[in-house]
Amino acid sequence: MLKKKICMLGMYSVGKTSLVRRFVHSLYEDRYLSTVGVKIDKKLVEIDGQPMEFLLWDIAGEDDHFSVPSSYLRGTSGCLLVIDGTRKATFDAALDLWQRTEEAIGSVPFVAVLNKVDLTDQWDISPKDLEDRDRLNWTFVKTSAKWGIGVEEAFATLGQKILHP
Amino acid sequence: MTQSPTDSGYDKGPDPQVSQEALDIEELRRLIAGPERIQIRQLRERLENPELRIKDISQILAEAIVHRTSQDEKIAKALAPTVEKAIESSIKRNRKVLVDALFPVMGPAIRKAVASALHGMIESFDKTIEYGLSPKGLKWRFEAFRTKKPFGEIVLLHTLLFQVEQIFLIHRKSSLVIQHVMSKDAKIQDPDLVAGMLSAIRDFVHDSFKLKKEESLDMLRMGADRTIWIEQGSLAVLAAVIRGTPPSELRLALRETLDTIHLEHGEALEAFDGDPALLESARPDLENCLQARTKPKPKKAFPLFWILFGVGIAVLGILIFFSIQGHRRSMRYLERLKAEPGIQVTSAEKRSGLYRIYGFRDPLAADPVELLTKEKLKSGGFAFNFESYTSAHPQLVLKRIVQKLKPPETAHLDFRDDVLSISGSASHLWISKTREAVQAIPGILKCDDSHLADLDVIEFEDLKKAVENRFFLFEFRSAEMIPGQEPELQAFIKELKRFLNLAEGLEKYVRIEIVGHADSNGSEWANLILSQERADHFLSLLVKEGLDPKSFQASGRGSRELYREEKTDRDRELNRRVTIHMIG
Repeated sequence: MLKKKICMLGMYSVGKTSLVRRFVHSLYEDRYLSTVGVKIDKKLVEIDGQPMEFLLWDIAGEDDHFSVPSSYLRGTSGCLLVIDGTRKATFDAALDLWQRTEEAIGSVPFVAVLNKVDLTDQWDISPKDLEDRDRLNWTFVKTSAKWGIGVEEAFATLGQKILHP
Repeated sequence: MTQSPTDSGYDKGPDPQVSQEALDIEELRRLIAGPERIQIRQLRERLENPELRIKDISQILAEAIVHRTSQDEKIAKALAPTVEKAIESSIKRNRKVLVDALFPVMGPAIRKAVASALHGMIESFDKTIEYGLSPKGLKWRFEAFRTKKPFGEIVLLHTLLFQVEQIFLIHRKSSLVIQHVMSKDAKIQDPDLVAGMLSAIRDFVHDSFKLKKEESLDMLRMGADRTIWIEQGSLAVLAAVIRGTPPSELRLALRETLDTIHLEHGEALEAFDGDPALLESARPDLENCLQARTKPKPKKAFPLFWILFGVGIAVLGILIFFSIQGHRRSMRYLERLKAEPGIQVTSAEKRSGLYRIYGFRDPLAADPVELLTKEKLKSGGFAFNFESYTSAHPQLVLKRIVQKLKPPETAHLDFRDDVLSISGSASHLWISKTREAVQAIPGILKCDDSHLADLDVIEFEDLKKAVENRFFLFEFRSAEMIPGQEPELQAFIKELKRFLNLAEGLEKYVRIEIVGHADSNGSEWANLILSQERADHFLSLLVKEGLDPKSFQASGRGSRELYREEKTDRDRELNRRVTIHMIG
């Protein structure tokens, strides 16, 4: 069976681990636990009738003291660039993170995930912001790991991009 | 480039005569040297055309180099700077090409060097423990001598024990598992996750400690006996999960396997996109790495040794068993001796295999030697030192009474609470003597013989009845007894004598009346006389047999006390009789 390495990228506390947990185990936990280093999970998916195994590298979120080591990105087939919709800073940081990723491993398929759509009252990203990114040809998927919205779609979209680059 | 003959310099100007001559000469030259000229032209063409020269040289270059190399080293010296510059240039341009090219070559070369170093280490190790004289060391040294192997190698052999449980072939770039093999009994987690985390850890270590490119994490230890050995190749990484202490040869084997996989599946590794099926053919190589080494089982000892050993153990066991049993019997005997009436053990000790027992013993108490046989003990193992004493134990007192009274078997004596009870039966004489004797025996407060029957009295009463039941018959009108009664008469006399003796012994006064009877024939008077005569006659017979007439009296009753109503002669016969009666 085809195996693909997928990296979860994004700033700290954007919900990378929660998305993986929702996607792999259909679970959600309110408690926030910071990821140390990297945690790897596995999920069997089917894209266009083709079974695939996603090896999900849930890499610790970036902050002032930690940036994603390029060695973790090596050999990845695709990335989920996770953004916390309630924190504009994570939206801006995603662009920087993406540019650095392209520098390190070249262009790979990716999907930008706008997480935490359940917190609509705290939403911090305007349509204009999104338009700017559209010009960069980014694909956005809105998700809520808490409610289980859009998670499958985010991974399926990435799977499509990997299978049909 | 070719030139026409006119361009050769022979033609100097237009002169018809000369020209004709020249034409002739030329014709002559063509006829004489025509073929050679063609060859010369061809040679010039080959020398002057670089493409043709390259072709020519290429055909002889290899042979020429071989030929020259066999003569001297000039070619090698001439080429060295160029080759060096070429390699240097290649490395500067793209290091990877040369690394990939040399990788399969370097592996074996490094292995050889490591093996050589290991051999040196074994020899060094041999010397280090050369003077170690532990029993195990000596045993291994003997084994080294026997198998003609270096001592150090034997030591390593004994100390190593391992099993390769799992092998991961991991794609270096993506950290995906290309192939995973495991031993039968290995317990595993998801290989993909393990491989991923393993790669992440390796990357973490590499990044954190800023290792050089050729340096990497090559071993992880988990607990006391599990390690992961990691061999890194240019395209793939081999990780082996090992239980126990593997030998260094294993790392060489892993390295060799990784090299082989690179060599045979280099292109597939390069093109790996997450589909392990393309590298399925690498599995046999990986499975060969699932090695295990166990400690050799100790050789079975020679059967005779075990037989002798077993017999020895059995004999020892039997001896111990008998020794314990003998000791137990001796102890049991000692306890029995202490509990025996009339024996007081004051001390007992075992010296030189002999039990010495000290104390007091009533002469009437049980014999200690006889008690030994009851416990199945031999008398030779015991020595007795008993002082004589008189025991007040009831059993001993009774024994003393019995010894003195000598009771008949029919009498039973019991001594309890200072009271002597006698039951059963005994002769009148023994009873009389006992009643007197008991008073003289110390310790007896009372003698109870209420349950003791006097045999003489019983016999006396029995005989009394027997005698009184006797009667003897007489002839018709005669004082003579009917013949044939002699045996009864003798028996009666015997009974009578015994009866009278008993009466005397019992101090009883007895008088016996012999009563004569007659049938009713004849007159009363005549019958009275006849009956008296019969009684007298019978008494005379008794006296004749030695009986004292003083004890008897004879009287006649005539026909007044008929025994039976006379209806027949037999009735009358029965009425002609004497009977016996006790008086008083």
